[in-house]
Amino acid sequence: MCESPVPEPRRSFLTRLVVAGAALIGAGVAGLAGAVVTPRTRATAKRWRPAASMFDLPPNAPFVATLTERHADGWHQTRKESVVFIDKVGDGYRALSATCTHLGCRVAWDGAESRYKCPCHGGIFDRTGAVVSGPPPRGLDTIAVRLNPETADLEVEI
Amino acid sequence: MRGMAGIFDWLDHRTGFRTLRHHLLDEKLPAGTGWWFTFGSLLLFGLTIQIITGTLLAMFYAPTPDHAWDSVRYITTEVRGGQLLRGLHHWGASLVVVTAVLHLIRVVFFGSYRAPRELNWVVGLVLLHVILAFGLTGYLLPWDQRAYWATVVTINISKLMPVVGETVANLLRGGPDIGAMTLTRWYAVHVLVLPPVLFGLIGLHLYLMRRHGISGPITPQTGESRSFFPYQAGRDLTVALVVGIALAALAWQGAPALEPPADPTSSDYIPRPEWYFLGLFELLKYFPGKLEIVGAIILPGVVMTLLALLPWLDRARTRGLRDRRWLLMTFAAGLVAITTLTVLGAMDKPVSSGDGWNVREQAGAVLLQTGSCATCHDPDGVAGPVDPVRVSRPRSWVASHLVDPEMIAPGLRPAPVADQNAQHDRDALLAALARGRSGSPLPEVNDDGRMAVVFNRHCLRCHVMGPIGGTEGPSLIGVGAKINEAGLIRQITAPLDVKPTGEMPAFGDKLSSDDIAALARWLLRK
Repeated sequence: MCESPVPEPRRSFLTRLVVAGAALIGAGVAGLAGAVVTPRTRATAKRWRPAASMFDLPPNAPFVATLTERHADGWHQTRKESVVFIDKVGDGYRALSATCTHLGCRVAWDGAESRYKCPCHGGIFDRTGAVVSGPPPRGLDTIAVRLNPETADLEVEI
Repeated sequence: MRGMAGIFDWLDHRTGFRTLRHHLLDEKLPAGTGWWFTFGSLLLFGLTIQIITGTLLAMFYAPTPDHAWDSVRYITTEVRGGQLLRGLHHWGASLVVVTAVLHLIRVVFFGSYRAPRELNWVVGLVLLHVILAFGLTGYLLPWDQRAYWATVVTINISKLMPVVGETVANLLRGGPDIGAMTLTRWYAVHVLVLPPVLFGLIGLHLYLMRRHGISGPITPQTGESRSFFPYQAGRDLTVALVVGIALAALAWQGAPALEPPADPTSSDYIPRPEWYFLGLFELLKYFPGKLEIVGAIILPGVVMTLLALLPWLDRARTRGLRDRRWLLMTFAAGLVAITTLTVLGAMDKPVSSGDGWNVREQAGAVLLQTGSCATCHDPDGVAGPVDPVRVSRPRSWVASHLVDPEMIAPGLRPAPVADQNAQHDRDALLAALARGRSGSPLPEVNDDGRMAVVFNRHCLRCHVMGPIGGTEGPSLIGVGAKINEAGLIRQITAPLDVKPTGEMPAFGDKLSSDDIAALARWLLRK
C-alpha cells in the first residue's frame, strides 16, 4: 500500500549523505581532469647562441637571424626557430625579437620606410624597436647580444 | 495490413511511441507562424550536416603536426568525394554561423526573448558561443599557415584577460608553445567536448521552446491554429532543401585551397581570420597600446552582456515594434557596426595573397626541374622525382639536405661552405617547394623562369619584386617607365658610370653581356 515512513531526521541525513558523496566523486573527477589538462611547463634556461657573424651585418638594414634548435614538442622532436633582428649601434649591437608585442605575429623589416611592420594589425616600430604607430602596447622586446671576440660571432641570449 | 498494425500496437504498448510522436509533431502553432520561423530548424539542418561531414573527415584526419596537413591534403586530393566533403564542412560552418545570427535577429525583432522566454534566450546565446568555439577550434586543424597564425593571435588575445589570462593561454596551448599539444587538445575539444555540450544545450533549448510554445507573430492573429506537422515542417523542409542545394553548389568547388604547412618562422605570411571573426580582427586595430584589452575583450564582452540582459532591459509594454523602437534601433545600429567592421576587415586584403608564383618561387621551380636535383631525383635515380606535394620533411630538414645532399640525417657532419649564389638558389628551391606543396602546379621552364633565377641570385637581395625582396635598392616594378633598354643595360653593367655616388655594385664582370641584355628586357616587361 504505502512505504513504511522513514523518520524525517534520518531522511534528511541520508539526503545530505548522498549529495555529499556525489559531490566528492564530482570533485575527484574534476580534480583529475584539471590536473591532466594543465600543461607541465618546464622552464627552459636561456643561453648564449651564435646568431650571426659580425661581418654579416648589412650597412643599412638590420640582419635577420633565424636560430634553430631541437625542441621537444610533446612526444615528437621538432625544431624550434626564433627570429632575431641584429643591428649595429655605434660600437655595440642591438638585438630585437621579431615577435610583435601586440598579438605575437612575426614583424618584418621594411627597408623603404626603415620601419618594422607587423602584417596582422598594422603595428609599426622604428629601427630601435620603439612603437611608431598601431596597436602594440610596447616596443619590440630587446634580446641581450654580445660579440664573441674569438669567433667574431654575434651571440644572443635566447 | 492487419499484421503491420498489430506489430505497431504491440510496439506502442511497450514503448508509447505514438504518444511521443504526437507530442513531438502535433504541437499546435499560433496562427500566422510562417517562414520567419524556419531559421531554427535550418540551423539544426546545418548542424546535422556538420556532424555527418565532420565524422567522415575524422576517419581520415590525423591530429599531429607532422601528419595533420598531409592528411587534410590527402582528404582533398585522394579520398573519393573528399573535396566535396571538406567543402561541405567548410561552407557548412559558415552556414551555421549565418543561420544562428539570422535566428537571433528574428528573435530580437519578434520580441520572442521576452518573458517567459528569457532563459531560452540566454541558452540560445550560449549556443551561439558554442558554435563559434567549434569554428575557432576547427580552424586550427588543417595546420596550414592560415590555421597556425590565426591560432597565435587567438591565444594571445586570451592572454589579455585580467588575472587568469596567462593560465587560460597555457590551457589553450597545452604547453609553452603552439605545437603537438595544442593540436591534439583542440581536436579533442572540437570532436569530443563541444558536441555533447551542443546536444545538451539544443535539448534544453527545444525543451524550453516547447514548454512556453512558439512565440508566433508580433501581433497575435486570429485564425486556425495548425499543427507543426506537416504545415510548418513543410516550410522547414523547403528552406532546408533550397539552402542545401546552394551549399552543395558552393561545396562542389571544395574548401579554399590549403596554404603551405604551418611555419612559425615565416615573416612574409599575412594572417587573416575566418570571415566571421573579421569584425573582431578589424576592431583590434583601433585600440592601440594599453587599450588593446578594450577592443579584444571588454567591448565584445560588453556587447554580449548587453545581449544576454536584453529580456530585462526591455521594459516595453508590448512586443510591438513601435513600443520597442529605441531598443530595436540600438540593436540595428549594433548590427550595422558589426557588418561595417566585417566589411572593412575583408577589404584589408594582404598584398601577397596572390595565387601566382613570385619571382623567387619561379626561380626555384626552374632550378628544381633543370638543376642538379635531377641527378638523383629521377624516375630511374636513387631518390625518385621530387613531387613538392609529397615532400613531408620540415623546411629545416630540406634546407640541410640542399646544403649537403648526402646529409640525409642533419647533424651528422658539418655542412660544406657554399658560395652566395648557392645560398640564393637554395632559398629559391625552398620557396618553390613550399609553394608547390600547396598543390599549385610547377610553372613550366621558359626564358622568363631562367631570368627569374638570375634575378633571384643577383638582384633580389636589394630590389623588391612584388611581395618579396630587399629594400636597399628601388623597386623594379614598372622600371620601364623610367629607363629604356640601353640605359638599363648600362645601369646593370657599370652603375657607377651612370651615378658615381650610387651604391649598386657592377655586374659587368659577373654576368655575360647576353645575360645582362636578357635581364634588362625581362625587367622592362615587369
